[in-house]
Amino acid sequence: MRRSDQRPEVKAPQRWRFPDPTRLWLDNGMQLMACDREGQHVAAVSLILDAPLNAEPVDVEGVATIAQRCLDEGTAAHPGPSFAEALEDIGAVLGGSAGYSGSELSLEVPTDRLGEALGLLAEVVREPELRPDDVDRHRTLRLAEIEHLLANSAHRSALEFRAACIPSRYRASRMVGGSQATVSAITHDDVLSFHERYYRPDAATLIISGELSGQEFAQAATAFGDWESPAEGYTSHEVPGSRTPHCWLIDRPGAVQADVRLGGFGIDRGDPRWADVQVATHALGGAFLSRLNRVLREEKGFTYGAHLVNTPMREGGLISMQGSFRTEVVPEALTLARDLLDLTSAPITQAEVTDAVNYTKGVAPLRYSTAQGITDRIAALVRDGVNVEFVNANFEAIGLVTPESATQSIMELLPPDGLTLVVVGDAASLHDQLLADGWLVEVRA
Amino acid sequence: MPYRLNYPIHQRTLGNGLRVVVSPDHSVPLAAVNLWYDVGSRDERPGEFGWAHLFEHLMFSGSAHVGSGEHLNALQALGGSVNATTWFDRTNYFETLPVGALDLALWMEADRLATLPDHLDDASVETQREVVKEEKRQRYDNVPYGDAMPQLVELVFGPDHPYGHTTIGSMADIDGATVEGAATFFRNHYRPDNAVLTIVGDITAKDAFKRAERYFGHLPSWNRRVRPAAVALAPLTGVTTREVTGRVPAAATYYAWRLPARDTWGFDACELALSVLGGGQTSRLHRELVRSQRVAAGVGASAMPLIGGTSFGVVNVRALPGQDIDAAHRAALVQIERLADAGPTQAELDRAKAQFAREWLTELARFDSRADLIGAYATLHDDPDRVNRKLEEVERLTLDQVAEACSAFLEPGQRAQLDYRQEAVDAAQ
Repeated sequence: MRRSDQRPEVKAPQRWRFPDPTRLWLDNGMQLMACDREGQHVAAVSLILDAPLNAEPVDVEGVATIAQRCLDEGTAAHPGPSFAEALEDIGAVLGGSAGYSGSELSLEVPTDRLGEALGLLAEVVREPELRPDDVDRHRTLRLAEIEHLLANSAHRSALEFRAACIPSRYRASRMVGGSQATVSAITHDDVLSFHERYYRPDAATLIISGELSGQEFAQAATAFGDWESPAEGYTSHEVPGSRTPHCWLIDRPGAVQADVRLGGFGIDRGDPRWADVQVATHALGGAFLSRLNRVLREEKGFTYGAHLVNTPMREGGLISMQGSFRTEVVPEALTLARDLLDLTSAPITQAEVTDAVNYTKGVAPLRYSTAQGITDRIAALVRDGVNVEFVNANFEAIGLVTPESATQSIMELLPPDGLTLVVVGDAASLHDQLLADGWLVEVRA
Repeated sequence: MPYRLNYPIHQRTLGNGLRVVVSPDHSVPLAAVNLWYDVGSRDERPGEFGWAHLFEHLMFSGSAHVGSGEHLNALQALGGSVNATTWFDRTNYFETLPVGALDLALWMEADRLATLPDHLDDASVETQREVVKEEKRQRYDNVPYGDAMPQLVELVFGPDHPYGHTTIGSMADIDGATVEGAATFFRNHYRPDNAVLTIVGDITAKDAFKRAERYFGHLPSWNRRVRPAAVALAPLTGVTTREVTGRVPAAATYYAWRLPARDTWGFDACELALSVLGGGQTSRLHRELVRSQRVAAGVGASAMPLIGGTSFGVVNVRALPGQDIDAAHRAALVQIERLADAGPTQAELDRAKAQFAREWLTELARFDSRADLIGAYATLHDDPDRVNRKLEEVERLTLDQVAEACSAFLEPGQRAQLDYRQEAVDAAQ
């Protein structure tokens, strides 16, 4: 049968829910969560430590990062490189990061080697060697990494936008892994004491997803059950506020493009407007034919992509239009972006809300179809102190968003006369025109 | 041999030559649709560098029943993840969506395959030319070391070889693309017999074939293009070097080789060997250059699989800021030479295989990447079921085979070398 001219009907998607993990608390306070997913032969494991970066002493910021990076350089049971060999021999890969609201170790391993992998994971958090020369080397490597980050236009704009939106008294205003000055000051003792104080079972959550055998909690109890917390207490999380708006032009002489961020301080998942902002963000700068991408890419050809990005932190967040534009069109692109973000005379429509809601609900089954997708999602929530039930509750909330509530959330978060702008590009070519267009830019090296 | 994979594979070829492969999986109510067109940057002639990729963009600019951008937007609005990529050996278009939207996705894919060239216009070609040029600036020109790949493939293959330029192409050639040029490019390459449609997901094989026939079966047939047999290039003779001075945060050196075509034992052996050399914390280069001698900020090694006779392997070494790269370079060459002379140890080989297995299983874990692998093996080898057997192929490689491949293909004396030197003024200042 030939039906090529007739657009097919779409059947409504099945109802889908984020899986509810099985939970157990060990006697030492460590929380375990497991999600069994049939057919997922690679297990995804995440260990989250409730160790906020504002716990770092201010003169050695980056110590959480150095501590995390030194962990797998050798353990009591597997000294030096023999640890990495033991891990790689079973096909496992271990990653990690120290984020603003907690440190994380993530492990992927074929499910039939999961038990052994959990034992190795316990070694790195409980009895890492943390030798002085490991600290020394990772300090050097981090200093090299800072040079690379600052040389990259996109990274630079992210760093500067963070600093422009968050007052400097908050740790969240600065680089996650520390600066040249603070990293240079980190000593072996700093790393040892950070590890001793913040790697502890009563601040730890272990998440395991994959095709499970049912033995995982027993294996975890064997590996972590007799881990003890130190007496020293806990550091509470900072609650950053926002700065007054700034316009910064970061000079990158001769750059063929400029990286742009336009927006401000935002909200976290606990804010009642969270679902509204998600829907609005999709309509304005998430979908392919969102307002920003439609005009700046598909109509003007100014950029490979213009997006509105909404990034929650544990407390507060950042929201900004992001894009890279060839230098000569930056002023026009910014004027257009400012107008597109001003919803006063062009509120979000019902059609936009419907598309955004369907998109958000529809992509979830794919995003969470793998062990890694599930573990990553739970880990992000745990790190930010949010219950796993949030995922399904948020789906419900998304369904209740109206054009008015979505519009209102953007008017509040992105007031047209109160936007923060960061442009990383060739200042000599951009400065005068940006001033003429009403952006009171301050040129910074 | 722990992993005996048995993802179901059902195949059929429609009357017009379109190959359809279906792999049912009812674990999630989704379907992944993937179309591999057997056209990539290797099919571009001089003056057309970047056209395959530009064309990929134009495939979203509207066809008989679908407006500009609507393909992406309409499927996103149904909860679909939609995209396309261009590479040396292929252009692939794919969407993963709730299974109730599968018909619409197939209909839209068929609509653009059937009617796209009649709907190209100057405005959309001009806009997408600019978008692609912005993509080039953002991903290559404005990024430290961003031009490494174009430089390296030119050194390894020579500028006239089909693999001697990368998919992003050149600004001049992108500027030279016209509606007529795009339409001709389309008619030469976008045909049912030059494509593989893969569907993975919550659907039976019978049902999927029926839908493929319904939406694609009426498209006119062609005669399947037979590519001339690929010619393998001999390894490079001697060392070809090039030096680039630019605004990079540290000096860096890349070493590159010609490797055997993809999915041969020789290529797989080289891939494992490169993993031993630079593929992780236990790798020889990391241990020696980063950990012991502390002369490098980072190392890497990878094999890039290509079907057209010859693949590509690369090792990179980045100096510490403010230091020259000579010590790292000398140490790297010692390690490369050692591996070429004697191959890896059994423990290293087993480790590389274990890592390969995890990566392979991870690729197959998602509907979308599984569909893409199946499409690749159907297009390039006419053997989609090989996704189930690949792990065994790699597992069977012996220490002697890997040592033989190292000595045949990874000799330091048969390399191309690209050196980045820092400009006097640091870009970060």
